[in-house]
Amino acid sequence: MTDDNQKSVTVILSGRIDSGNASETEQNINKQLSGYNSDFTVVFDASNLVYISSAGLRVILRIKKAYPDLKIIGVSSEVYEILEMTGFTEIIDVEKAYRVVSVEGCEVIGEGFNGKVYRIDKDNVVKTYKNADALAEIQHERKVAKLALILGVPTAISYDVVKVGDSYGSVFELLNSRSFSKILANEPDKYDWCVDEYVKMLKKIHSIIVPDGELPSIKEKTLRSVRRMKDTLPDGLGDKLVAMVEDIPESNHMIHGDFHTKNIVLAGDEVLVIDMDTLSVGHPIFDLIHMYNAYVGFSEYDPKIVYDFQGYNTKISHKFWHDSLLKYLGTKDENRYKEVDDKVRCLSYAGLIDWGTRHPDPDPQKSEATIELWKTRLIEILQKINTLDFDISADEQTNANEIKIDAITDNLEKVIDFVNSRLEAVDCLPKHQMQLDIAVEEIFVNIAHYAYSPDVGKAGVKVEVSDDPVTVTITFTDRGVPYDPLKKNDPDVSLSADEREIGGLGIFLTKKMIDDISYEYKDGKNILTLKKALN
Amino acid sequence: MLTINKKTENGKAVLALEGRLDTVTAPEFDSAVRAVLPGITELCLDCKKLEYISSAGLRVLLTAQKKMNTQGKMKVCNVNETVMEIFEVTGFSDILTIE
Repeated sequence: MTDDNQKSVTVILSGRIDSGNASETEQNINKQLSGYNSDFTVVFDASNLVYISSAGLRVILRIKKAYPDLKIIGVSSEVYEILEMTGFTEIIDVEKAYRVVSVEGCEVIGEGFNGKVYRIDKDNVVKTYKNADALAEIQHERKVAKLALILGVPTAISYDVVKVGDSYGSVFELLNSRSFSKILANEPDKYDWCVDEYVKMLKKIHSIIVPDGELPSIKEKTLRSVRRMKDTLPDGLGDKLVAMVEDIPESNHMIHGDFHTKNIVLAGDEVLVIDMDTLSVGHPIFDLIHMYNAYVGFSEYDPKIVYDFQGYNTKISHKFWHDSLLKYLGTKDENRYKEVDDKVRCLSYAGLIDWGTRHPDPDPQKSEATIELWKTRLIEILQKINTLDFDISADEQTNANEIKIDAITDNLEKVIDFVNSRLEAVDCLPKHQMQLDIAVEEIFVNIAHYAYSPDVGKAGVKVEVSDDPVTVTITFTDRGVPYDPLKKNDPDVSLSADEREIGGLGIFLTKKMIDDISYEYKDGKNILTLKKALN
Repeated sequence: MLTINKKTENGKAVLALEGRLDTVTAPEFDSAVRAVLPGITELCLDCKKLEYISSAGLRVLLTAQKKMNTQGKMKVCNVNETVMEIFEVTGFSDILTIE
């Protein structure tokens, strides 16, 4: 068998090769190779090779001398063991044979555009790929899943590649697992838990900084899609959309790319994220888009789609989107939700129009009506928004002078440590330091107790130092209930113990500790600024 | 971090405070005070090693003072300069018996 284009020649090895038939086998091989010069790659197909002894290995070594480019493919596990033990796998290119797995009659536990996931036994699942280039895809997913695991994402890595029919699959061990979609559909009392764990996982992924060049930028992919569909929009709105996508800041933070409840599984008591092939880097809006698509976007015309895909209805899916976005943003402010929701929907519709045009529904009328609906809504949003960027509250420390942190009293020490670390560079008297500590504590605790109660949200703490005279400015921001603490009357400090009320001291004490305090409510944020000169 | 050392004898209790009395540690101090209050006629808070106090700590002090006004007396001793300043600006220097 030869392939002149690639200049390779294949020789089939079969049965047993041992001292009894080694020289006969060698003559046989040499006969087949006569006429091919050493430029040719010799490929030994070992699919039917049962055993090879050292006499057989010596034959292969002699042939490798004449043909340096030599490889062995389709090697069974038994033969591979021999080759590995003798060190052959290090000097010769050896490809293992793929185990053949049948998925006939197996339960389908997941289905995406690229293939299906079957449960092959209690503890194992196999993910199959439709595409012709399945092996490359499998290798890609294994590579990125490994990277994610090393960077701290709890995920499953496939431990074997197998042959499934004409294509390939990767095998994962998933003990006692069930997806969040299944849990949401069957265990309504676990809803809040699902939202919490889902958002925790999303934030974890988004907090990870990926080394340069390890993962593709998702913005590029989105830009390609938006450029494909932009001409379907009227009045220059397409160009506006492309420009807005171009303006989304680059980011080296990790993005999952398909973060919906089917891809989050509870395995034992561990929450894992799977389906890593779309892993990339970028602004968090790109993950939110795919979430919106899964819960709302795809099924906006036909609500049945979400049920077919996730196993729960739109009542659950819409609520899940709303609640998890609020939780992700660390707020319960519906205006803030609306602001981000609009930006997400804008890109979601653009992507869906592109996708729907390229994968039309078999029913042309339905296909057209769906795309028309997405388009109408996209145009509506495009007319009112001018940017797709939004404040990312996923990472705690946004820059050297500011932290964004959950406003809970447990974080008080972190906040005080942060402020003090910013003051290290200036000569701050212990007395001033304590006064600043008190002011910071009072304000931060106030936010922790009241801004988002009973929920939890973020507080920003920014420290700036200016010269002449050395002045510290500390700015607190939160997106909670609008509240001006300066409106509160100071307590009467001349009253006796019995006349005095227990509360109301915090803000008063803060005012006494610093030189100036001011409050404003702007862009949905409470902004409280403290100033103190350190002379 | 706050460490509270407790001593009681003959209806008199001494709580020696060491460290920071803030939002995080005030609940501990509050329960220590509540535990010691029943049956005592004198409460002494030794602040020699108290480095820091915020409004959360002041609230517990005020609650204790109110309670002790009905059953005896309360003293605050060995207050350092920085903590004293907090007592002064909040008027606590007038309502507490500071020694």
